[in-house]
Amino acid sequence: MRAFVTVIVDSIRLLRARALFWVSLFISAFVALIYLSIGFDDRGMSLLFGAFHFDMPFMTKGSEGAELLYLGIFRNFIVAWWLTWIAVVIALVSCAPILPEFMTEGAAGVALSKPVSRPLLFAYKYIGALLFIGLQAILFAVIVFIAIRWRVGTWNPTVFWSVPVVLLVFSYLFSVLVLLGIRTRSVMASVMLTLILWLMCFIAQVGESVCHSAANHGIGITGGELSEEERASWKAAYPWARLPYVVLPKPGETTSLLDRWIVLGDGDNLGNSTFEAMNRNGRFDNLDEGVKDDLARHSPAWVIGSSLAFEAVILGLACLAFSRRDF
Amino acid sequence: MDGPAVEIEYLRKRYGGFEALAGVSLTVPRGTVFGLLGPNGAGKSTMVKSLLTIIRPTECRGRMLGKPIGDRATLGKVGYLPEHARFPEHLTGRQVIGFSAGLAGVGVEETRRRTQALLARVGMKEWADRKLSTYSKGMRQRIGIAQALVNEPEIVFLDEPTDGVDPEGRIEIRKMIESLREEGRTVFVNSHLLGEVEQVADEVAILSKGRVIESGKVAMLTRLAKRFEIRTVGPVPPALRQVLERGGMRVAGDCISLDAEDAAPVQPVIDQLRSSGVAIRELREAKDSLEDIFLRAVQGKEAA
Ligand SMILES: Nc1ncnc2c1ncn2[C@@H]1O[C@H](COP(=O)(O)OP(=O)(O)OP(=O)(O)O)[C@@H](O)[C@H]1O
Ligand SMILES: [Mg+2]
Repeated sequence: MRAFVTVIVDSIRLLRARALFWVSLFISAFVALIYLSIGFDDRGMSLLFGAFHFDMPFMTKGSEGAELLYLGIFRNFIVAWWLTWIAVVIALVSCAPILPEFMTEGAAGVALSKPVSRPLLFAYKYIGALLFIGLQAILFAVIVFIAIRWRVGTWNPTVFWSVPVVLLVFSYLFSVLVLLGIRTRSVMASVMLTLILWLMCFIAQVGESVCHSAANHGIGITGGELSEEERASWKAAYPWARLPYVVLPKPGETTSLLDRWIVLGDGDNLGNSTFEAMNRNGRFDNLDEGVKDDLARHSPAWVIGSSLAFEAVILGLACLAFSRRDF
Repeated sequence: MDGPAVEIEYLRKRYGGFEALAGVSLTVPRGTVFGLLGPNGAGKSTMVKSLLTIIRPTECRGRMLGKPIGDRATLGKVGYLPEHARFPEHLTGRQVIGFSAGLAGVGVEETRRRTQALLARVGMKEWADRKLSTYSKGMRQRIGIAQALVNEPEIVFLDEPTDGVDPEGRIEIRKMIESLREEGRTVFVNSHLLGEVEQVADEVAILSKGRVIESGKVAMLTRLAKRFEIRTVGPVPPALRQVLERGGMRVAGDCISLDAEDAAPVQPVIDQLRSSGVAIRELREAKDSLEDIFLRAVQGKEAA
């Protein structure tokens, strides 16, 4: 326990000493506060705690329009952009130096010559990063939780699903980052390569999804009907298109779980009909429809389980590389 | 618990195709100061890091503090000052010591108490709460030594402890090493500064190209290297020179030197010189410093 606390405190000191950490914390708080600052009154809505006011008869305090807008911002910006992409990138970048810095010669010697085994040291470092990101995610969720209560009037504890989901997505990618960090000892290289892998996960998912609808529903890439032969060749190609998807983690689909798990005041989830209606006028493209289709095909347990399997393998490799390395 | 502090039966380390340690064995008695000497790249740091599990030796048999080398729990009783210790710049001296204590399992309260005492001991009390980035090289080294002692180790490994420390600081470090020995701890010092090691070490081993080429008590090594030098007026005549060299003496110009415990073997040489009409200018008893032994051993090995 003493060693665990020591390693965590050391990680936090490292992060605190970096400008990037403060920048990321600032951006995170800023986004939450912007959201909190959107308000409604008898005449319409206001921004930045009333600094800007817009007269909107359909968006008055307590109206359904106001609620839809506020929760719509949550779904279409906070979940779709912030939690899916930006917050994860920021978390990765700010935690990236934890292992490479730890492994610089001279600093590593002291830690490695202690009665704490290397796998344990490795685990402490990894868990430390997760704890740290988890705390940030909790802070963010608390602000959103309060914001929704304040502006819309309902307590919505399901927003706290964002904490484990963000943490999961972060951990899939962070495992890769850690492995690359140990191999390359370079913060920059490991971050870049991790982002590339993330992109590959995305491509693999889209590839599988496209191939699946072509093979099984006869829908071509451009949306047209396919002939029997074309369908047959898509069917033949499908196992190959599925392979990378199965192997790689599924960050996109994991975040999409929030659409199911975050439930709005009236008992509908985020992907429900109200939002469908709101989004029908062309704001949702086929891709998201595809994601929904895939979510129906792949259970949450499968999405998370297969991603965690990938993470476990990568972490095993990283731990092995860390344990066998000469310093 | 008795027995040697470190007993290496056989230690080999290859880096890829390069053999950094080619099957070394040595013994470090408890409660002594042991100096491991050797030129740059000899494998001194590699040896210490192998004992501390910082690198994985290719082959290793031996014991440290009565347990097989590599035993985790034993490392709690060991202190280590790495070579060119580069601790994170954003930490303060106190935090560096605290980190070392925490990983060694020293309790929080105990750590606070010991840190205070150690900071005073290494003369860093005023600087304890400033960041390492504001320290000079010697100050970092002092914090490094304090950090190595915070778990009250039975054996301390110091890899080039005086690296970057000023002459005054070196004397302080030497005194500290002596006081550690007085406390009954074993000190293992890596160095290529022979004068220093000679002053403080009880035993030394000389490492060159991954092999121990000389080892033993300092007093014994330097006594073995006792010799006499005779200087003549003008060079020694070639005929006589041949005779002397056949007798195992070294002759260089006007200087004849022979290894001997006492002056008895010198007498016939004087007679020979006198009978050949060579005038003697000087006769003296000479003692090799560790440096001479070291250079001779290393060069002898290289020539062989
Ligand atoms: N990680 C490594 N990979 C490959 N070779 C290494 C590695 N570390 C050390 N060596 C080689 O092993 C040999 C011994 O290195 P070591 O650091 O033990 O020498 P040293 O005796 O401590 O020298 P110095 O007095 O300069 O500190 C050197 O030739 C070095 O090049
Ligand atoms: Mg060295």
